Amino acid sequence: MKIEGATRAALVRVDPEGWVDEHGDCLYRYALFRVRRPEIAEDLVQETFFTAVRTSGSFRGKSSERSWLCGILKNKICDHFRTLGRETSFTDLEFLDNELSNKFVSQGFWNHERGPLEWKPEAEVVMQRAEFWETLRNCLSKLPARVADVFMLREIEEMETEQICRALNISPNNLWVMLHRARMALRECLEINWFNDPR
Amino acid sequence: MSGEYNPSPEGNPSFLARRNRFQTALVKFIGKRTPKCREVVRILSQSMDSKLSLIMRIKLRLHYLICAWCQRYDKQLHELRKFTSSVPSHLDDFSADTLSPSAKERMKEALSEDRRELG
Repeated sequence: MKIEGATRAALVRVDPEGWVDEHGDCLYRYALFRVRRPEIAEDLVQETFFTAVRTSGSFRGKSSERSWLCGILKNKICDHFRTLGRETSFTDLEFLDNELSNKFVSQGFWNHERGPLEWKPEAEVVMQRAEFWETLRNCLSKLPARVADVFMLREIEEMETEQICRALNISPNNLWVMLHRARMALRECLEINWFNDPR
Repeated sequence: MSGEYNPSPEGNPSFLARRNRFQTALVKFIGKRTPKCREVVRILSQSMDSKLSLIMRIKLRLHYLICAWCQRYDKQLHELRKFTSSVPSHLDDFSADTLSPSAKERMKEALSEDRRELG
């Protein structure tokens, strides 16, 4: 009987010190990638573990331990940007204006020589290549920092647009523009650096 | 000519191109009644964050008949989303950053202290 009880306890074992060794680096990489400053990334990881200890009752082992922790960290990153906010400058919004102009002919249709190419191979194949992720990171790093923040809050942390506007104190219209230009720039960058030149 | 769909080049991949008089008429008809590509890409970005009206979705469908490029753009925005949302699980592929041993020790200490406090 005792053994059975112990096995059950082991199934939902809470081992915070073990998490640090097993998932610490992975979480830290994600946090550092998003907030860019080591000391802040470290704090966010630590807070993630604290929250995990307090909410471990809700973890039933349905998702992997790592993706559960990752989900908590996502919320911490959103909170971090919420407290940052209030200092957004939009001077870098012109970052795509010039590049856009040669994409379309004056009537507003695609300049066919410069229209989107067909991407090959398929997304699933591409995602298995380590080099692809490096290309994507390089493309993301070319975005102006604030535009990258907004884009990644939307696409990685999956924050709702209204929440992003409130958190970063930007108008909905500015948000649409930033997201549109980020997508346009990234699409273009991936096409040039990956799909046009698949290694 | 302004406002008209510009003549299709050789090998236009779109479903409808100016391959004969009938197609040319259709292309012009659709080109005048759906947003221009420059506008379509803006709308497509919005469609990633909010639901478009039924009318707009129909207009886009029609537009795709004469513009394979906008259709590709739409598909690629969805792929871009798939790529970007998977970035956290692929960070090992392009980042060697790790927590320093001392940082790990600090965290473990804080965690065990925290647990003692929690009882």
